[in-house]
Amino acid sequence: MSEVIVITSGKGGVGKTTSTANIGTGLAKLGKNVVMIDTDIGLRNLDVVMGLENRIVYNLVDVVEGNCRIKQALIKDKRYPNLALLPSAQTRDKTAVNPEQMVKLIEELRGEFDYILLDCPAGIEQGFKNAIAAADRAIIVTTPEVSAIRDADRIIGLLEANEIHKIDLIVNRLRMDMVKRGDMMSIEDVIDILAIDLIGAVPDDESIVIATNQGEPLAGDSSMAGTAYMNICKRVLGEEVPLMNMEVNNGFFAKVAKLFK
Amino acid sequence: MANQPVIIKSNKYGLIVILDAKLSWEELKKEVAEKFSSSAKFFGEVQMAVCFQGRDLSLEEEMELVEVISANCQIQIVSIIDGNEALETQMQKAVEEREENPTDLMNLQDGRFYKGTLRSGQVLESETSVIILGDVNPGARVISKGNVIVLGTLKGNIFVGAAGNEAAFVAALSMDPMQIRIGDVIARCSDGAPVKKKKKADDTPKIAYVEDGNIYIEPITKEVLNDIRL
Repeated sequence: MSEVIVITSGKGGVGKTTSTANIGTGLAKLGKNVVMIDTDIGLRNLDVVMGLENRIVYNLVDVVEGNCRIKQALIKDKRYPNLALLPSAQTRDKTAVNPEQMVKLIEELRGEFDYILLDCPAGIEQGFKNAIAAADRAIIVTTPEVSAIRDADRIIGLLEANEIHKIDLIVNRLRMDMVKRGDMMSIEDVIDILAIDLIGAVPDDESIVIATNQGEPLAGDSSMAGTAYMNICKRVLGEEVPLMNMEVNNGFFAKVAKLFK
Repeated sequence: MANQPVIIKSNKYGLIVILDAKLSWEELKKEVAEKFSSSAKFFGEVQMAVCFQGRDLSLEEEMELVEVISANCQIQIVSIIDGNEALETQMQKAVEEREENPTDLMNLQDGRFYKGTLRSGQVLESETSVIILGDVNPGARVISKGNVIVLGTLKGNIFVGAAGNEAAFVAALSMDPMQIRIGDVIARCSDGAPVKKKKKADDTPKIAYVEDGNIYIEPITKEVLNDIRL
């Protein structure tokens, strides 16, 4: 039986789409059949992050309105045969789809995929309602900032009100040096406020910006963010993986050691 | 003087307003307004029940008259009584019931439990006191006519004694609210960068109450609890 996961945050710009792309890629690398659905109608960008923009022919709204079959709209990823993307429409808006249609669409996909990832738009309006309508579980993405955490808190409340009780947390863009100085909230502080399970923490890493711009998700590579996302994927599958050490060692000895590498 | 269009009779608890049956509605209202504004000083500021006689009135008409009366004098109409049997006792009952406020007493004594974290945007409203097993996060609101006890961290907005009862209190295991309102007294948390706040100063259970029109927040001790009235 497949699992439908909505990736949401409330606030914009915290890394929902990047997380969706990386979790999707990571799960595909782990051998699962995965489809990612971009539910951000009118502001599509999951395809850009995945580097699949030029292959879009049909989109989510076309499928819902019956202009094409689901199979025609699904884009197979060029790197992983078991990873697919259902892009959203750029020319329409959120009202083009309603929650019932989303439920019906996802029911059709359940048979063919192990994991269905829904990239949720920011906000709590129609787009959010569409995205969560068919979800079994949710992953909340937040950064260690009060505004993002406040919105995440509201989203958790709304998810619980909609009978989604398996909710996990990703703390994104963590900077250990700032946490150490006491200038940024630590993972513990965030969990203390939100009171939900942590599924992973992703460090603020240059490589993720580069990867996103190149349309090449980095889950599973050797960078810190890549490792962090791979760990998250394993935890999604139910494996117990300890939190990685995110300290960047920039001391004198580390630099000397680098010279001799 | 026998054909006065509006006659007011009064007893200790209420007014009997005898209305002319033939006068047009608009004129009658004008007469009522005049009558009451001229006797406003005589009645002063009182709570009274009222009974209209001499004319059949619909519910809307009665309400209109009550509005006219309260617009022209300081009498607070607490109840409208129809018929005239045992009028005085009925009026007495209506006013006395109102004075006792039995519902408010019940709210303070009665309570309910709520389990779970109240998150941003969620509102818990209660006629009675509330005990919350969980946190009240920033952006959440609790409104109670009685008292509130939070077995967790209180970081949101809280309003107790919502019917104007300043004897109400708030207690929490960790007290860090955005805003506390007790009855009509409001206090808000001090300004300051929330992030810089190193580990919350202390996590001792605290209680907030009103004294001399100010809200005090103090650790829960026997002395403080002794001063709490239920």
